[in-house]
Amino acid sequence: MRVSGCVAEAGAAHLAEVGSPVARGPWTFSDIISSHPEDEEDVDDTYKVMLIGDSGTGKTCLLVRFKDGAFLSGSFISTVGIDFRNKVVEVDGTKVKLQIWDTAGQERFRSVTHAYYRDANALLLLYDVTNKSSFDNIRAWLTEINEYAQEDVVIMLLGNKADMSGERMIRDHGVAFMETSAKTGMNVELAFMAIARDLKMKKMRQPSDPTFNVAEYVDSQKKTPGCCS
Amino acid sequence: MAAKEAEQTEIEVENEELQEDIAPGDCGSAMLIASDSFDSLVGNDYETELAIKKKKSHINEIVRQGSFEQEDSCGEQADVNHIGPYGDATTPSASEESSGEQSDPSMTKELSAVLDEISKSPDHDDDDVKTPEWKAQSKHVFILSDSGKPVYSRYGNEDKLVTVFGVMQALVSFVQDSAHDSIRSLVAGEHRIIFLHHENIILVCVTRGSESDRLIRIQLNYLYNQILSVLTLSTLKKIFKQRRNYDLRRQLSGSEKFLDSLLTMMEREPGLLLSAVRCLPLECQTRDMIAQSIVQHAKVKDLVFALIIANSQLVTLVRMKKYFLHPMDLHIIINLINAAESFKAAESWTPICLPKFDSSGFLQAHISYLDEACQTCLLLLTVDRDSFFTLSGCKTKITERLIKYNGLKAISDSLRKDSYNISKCGISDLRHFLYKNKSTAQYTSPELEAPYLSPGEQERLFGLYHYLHNRIHSSARPLKILYHVGQYEALLGWVTQGFELYAVFSPLVTKSLAINAVNKLMAWIRKEASRLFILESVTF
Repeated sequence: MRVSGCVAEAGAAHLAEVGSPVARGPWTFSDIISSHPEDEEDVDDTYKVMLIGDSGTGKTCLLVRFKDGAFLSGSFISTVGIDFRNKVVEVDGTKVKLQIWDTAGQERFRSVTHAYYRDANALLLLYDVTNKSSFDNIRAWLTEINEYAQEDVVIMLLGNKADMSGERMIRDHGVAFMETSAKTGMNVELAFMAIARDLKMKKMRQPSDPTFNVAEYVDSQKKTPGCCS
Repeated sequence: MAAKEAEQTEIEVENEELQEDIAPGDCGSAMLIASDSFDSLVGNDYETELAIKKKKSHINEIVRQGSFEQEDSCGEQADVNHIGPYGDATTPSASEESSGEQSDPSMTKELSAVLDEISKSPDHDDDDVKTPEWKAQSKHVFILSDSGKPVYSRYGNEDKLVTVFGVMQALVSFVQDSAHDSIRSLVAGEHRIIFLHHENIILVCVTRGSESDRLIRIQLNYLYNQILSVLTLSTLKKIFKQRRNYDLRRQLSGSEKFLDSLLTMMEREPGLLLSAVRCLPLECQTRDMIAQSIVQHAKVKDLVFALIIANSQLVTLVRMKKYFLHPMDLHIIINLINAAESFKAAESWTPICLPKFDSSGFLQAHISYLDEACQTCLLLLTVDRDSFFTLSGCKTKITERLIKYNGLKAISDSLRKDSYNISKCGISDLRHFLYKNKSTAQYTSPELEAPYLSPGEQERLFGLYHYLHNRIHSSARPLKILYHVGQYEALLGWVTQGFELYAVFSPLVTKSLAINAVNKLMAWIRKEASRLFILESVTF
């Protein structure tokens, strides 16, 4: 947890710069990443986030790490259809509800999940850093996203299982990118928080305001494996 | 068959001694489609069924009833062109495709050689998959496409079994081409090989077990239905129409576990043999309250079926007027929730095709567990793809009401091990029984107790039930009543127009005692019918 802790603090500093109008005293970890699943009534915004990517890239594990702070070890539990979880997070003092759709990676569900792309505000596209074919398929996934998703959808590419050593596969696809690990928790909170922040900024932004660039944001905040671990 | 080795005395009992009257558990309106005919499950009736359904696909019908005629809202247009993001990369080449079509006469020679090989040496070793463990399995199941491409093997890796699959395809197509006939089964030494050939899929079972060919064919049909429930028949046809040589494993990846668990379920669940569903015993007021909770809180347009299942037993089923659920479809649903652990973690939304209901399209299933212990599962099946949040809201309200009126507690009490044991019937010498009411397609059966606690003993017990069922339903000589004394127990099977009863007694019971006991048992079932069965068919 130390890793994500320092990520979160860095995020707070940045957030004050970017334009939180009200400066709140010293930020603590729980201030920023707090979840209130019970009081869902008083959330300010609700956004739909979809997790997509090949089967076995760790979509469910990433989500469970974010939601419950736990790592699903042991046997491989594959998702059937789409699983659904809510998580309320706080961005700049307002509560944002993320409705997270965790999709099955298997091919047979593709035609089904397409139907839900158009409702998604953000897409987290995962590949497995230890699995070449899941990396090679990113292009196909991005094509699919272009075809079915809203034009202004927020896309973030995540190379999961970054705790595993090995040669890195990185290619610039022109979307926000970072490596994550559901096992150690590295960058997991950041990924979801960056998405939440981007969606919120997009909604609040006046035409004259500078745009919030999620790619630059994560670049400045993300940890790379080896640091802090 | 254990019974075969036993010293047998079989007597056909005269009918008069058993007091036959109406079948306990009958009710005015059924909610399940009663299909007592054992053989109706086996037939290759999908083609004709679909032809009929073309005119009235249930899903389309329901969708049309809605005010909007959205053509794509039932998911039947699962687009084969967009099979995946990898598209062309894995498209089989034209040359591959043509290799799928084989009907040359030179096959005859090859085939006889192959046949020789099969019959002469079960221990013939030419593949590293054919390890002693692989060979030691008593029941193998193989599924392949028409063109011989492996789809599924119960044991071992399909890729390493291509030659075996090739032989099976050759056998099927040889008989088809040369004799315009279809191969049904082969006997090779102590193995029986049973074939079931659907339009694009060949299913083969190789067994050393004692189940009848008919039963195995039912099981293979269940597996075929499981594949349909993942893909729909329309998609399956479309796939193979476009590419005859398509590797179906791409579409089925991740669903092998459903085939595995269905095979296990077949070995343990008499409901598949009986084509009936087991209900969880509940006081009828409680069951009514549970059903009403659903009716009140899930009155949603386009919701077709709402059901609660606990430990593979049906608690309640609420259906759209006009539509009924087939027991086979219900077994597919039960298998789905038994096999997928992921439903326990979060609310799920998944497409499922119920082949008997409508093999041409998907229903959307909202699946969630209502209790912490994940025993009670609620399924809401709809044709509306966009109603997840509506149904999720229904689920919350249903749960609240069930907690308020102790519905969940009643369910968990009934699930407790000792709540339905044979001693509740108060009949000595009776060890276990299966009672099926034909008109409602429901059956009841007590928990297994000693001596049927070990897996081996359970298997033997089901072997006895299979034997009894097979003898009674023998097409050559169907029986109404069969009394059979085996080595370790006496069996009595009794089939009338209204019900089927299979009872197991201790071996020392006499025929008249057994008949007496069965009459008592029938009286007990009659008395308890409102608790043991779902007698009210509730609709939205």
